Amino acid sequence: MVQLFINGLIAGSLGALVAGGLALVYGVLGVFNLALGQMALIGGYSTWWLHQSLHLPLSISILGGLLVGALLAWLTFEIFVNPFYRRHRFLPLVTTIALSMILDGAILLLFQERPRSIVPGLKKMVQMGDARISMEQVGLILITFVLLASFAYVLHSTAFGRKIRAVVQHEHAAWSLGIPAHILHRLIFILSGVLAACGGIFLGIDQNLTPIFAFPLTIKAYAAIIAGGKGNFWGAILCAYLIAFLEQFVVGIHWFGLFYVPAGYQQSVALVFIIFFLLFKPSGLFVRSARAA
Amino acid sequence: MNFFWHTLAVICMFIPGYLGYGLILGKGKILHFGHEGIVMVTGYTVFILLMQFHTGYILALFGGLIAIAAVSLLFALLALRLEADAFGVMSLAVHLMLFAVVLNWSSVTRGALGIPGLLRFPFLQTPFDFAMFGLVVAVFFFWLMWKVDRSAFGRKLAALAEHEWHAKSLGIYRRKVYILAFLLSGFCVLTTAVLSRQYFTIIHPNDFLFPVLVFDVMVIVAGKPGSVPGVTLASILLISLKEALRFVPLSPAVLGPVRLILFGLILFGAVWWRRDTLFPQEREI
Repeated sequence: MVQLFINGLIAGSLGALVAGGLALVYGVLGVFNLALGQMALIGGYSTWWLHQSLHLPLSISILGGLLVGALLAWLTFEIFVNPFYRRHRFLPLVTTIALSMILDGAILLLFQERPRSIVPGLKKMVQMGDARISMEQVGLILITFVLLASFAYVLHSTAFGRKIRAVVQHEHAAWSLGIPAHILHRLIFILSGVLAACGGIFLGIDQNLTPIFAFPLTIKAYAAIIAGGKGNFWGAILCAYLIAFLEQFVVGIHWFGLFYVPAGYQQSVALVFIIFFLLFKPSGLFVRSARAA
Repeated sequence: MNFFWHTLAVICMFIPGYLGYGLILGKGKILHFGHEGIVMVTGYTVFILLMQFHTGYILALFGGLIAIAAVSLLFALLALRLEADAFGVMSLAVHLMLFAVVLNWSSVTRGALGIPGLLRFPFLQTPFDFAMFGLVVAVFFFWLMWKVDRSAFGRKLAALAEHEWHAKSLGIYRRKVYILAFLLSGFCVLTTAVLSRQYFTIIHPNDFLFPVLVFDVMVIVAGKPGSVPGVTLASILLISLKEALRFVPLSPAVLGPVRLILFGLILFGAVWWRRDTLFPQEREI
């Protein structure tokens, strides 16, 4: 049971990193970015390339991966989102599908299909009662908590965070108060790209990077956002953890002492749960009420 | 000459499916990205009944009809309950879920091995047979969807896409129209799924991956959403291009990714070109 909880914490941290940035993007711009999984993988693969091919130190490689993630997010915003989202907010949904395909092709050409691990070899394991966890995983969970806590601080206790929340709540009102919404749009999109790259690096350190991870990563992040109440940052984070725990517990429990759910159905069961939940509560778990004058 | 008949057969067999998808994504502006999930469920149901349970084609097609009605209703229900963009993402989630079931329920679906050696209709054996029969089917579906497009139902679907509240004030209800649209689209999909899988004689999970969906979206967007002749023309041009790419002298390891990049760029170009009409603004009087 403890092992399942730890596994859920690891998978949930990855989901929370990715879903958190996206929830902000949705809150501010009202757009979905379906190339997110590929953006995360490119962050991870860049780190792998810097560390394993150029033999740079891990910390520098991670910084490089984050930089690539930021650059890719900025280019995505300028080419695939900005020219479209003012015309219709659904257009970026289709343009980012096109981008995902382009990035899929680029990943296959540059890094091939075989699994790539940023830190290959045996990992140092720590025993916690009946459960085992690697030092890398402990580090990754802690870094995620630190990142999310810093984010919470910036969002709720600084002038910059208040500006972001103002743009999320009412863009035109924020403009009229002199808040440069167009700059914040870019910044938030780039931030979401950096968080996605963090997710990719997390994946590359904890497991292996393969191109097939991109699509499920995107879908699970968005399932968390929709289930959490679209645009609700903390709702998305909580639901990312919820989905991860569901995935772990559904396949890890010996149901009624009779059977195990096969591991292949792991992500399906979580998605079935979310889909049925949304059929009854389409607005999600944590609906944010709009502020009115 | 064989390549010509092969290309013609493939184009004609896929046109009904694209026209059905065009009704949902193009005419109805419903952000439905679970189309390949529907094709997969239909194809697998028909061919599992046929190959594993030896039911014969009539019962297998009947089973396929039931499966397509069930899965189309699930998508229609989700489309009715969720906001448009949330439905777009959740329809992908349903696809992913169905895909996992097909991949893991290997005692029935044979998992990653797929089901090879699919039985063909007795009168469909060569590419020429498929091309001729497919042509008749494609012409029938073109006529059918043309009629649907110009019918009261087509106008209701377009009205709901433009402004749901105004449409409702005129007595047009989303529930009935959406369910009918999904069922009609499903009927088109059944035709494509049965004919195309018979032609290739194998049904395999890889035939329903994300790039296949992107190709579907590209056909609808490039062909002008909601336009029956446009989608038909886009099917002809894009499938011809896809088939012609087989002759590019590149190794499969390079050709596959290059094809992904090329089709991604075409989709982006098509959206850029259609950016003002893909999701039209509400009309004002």
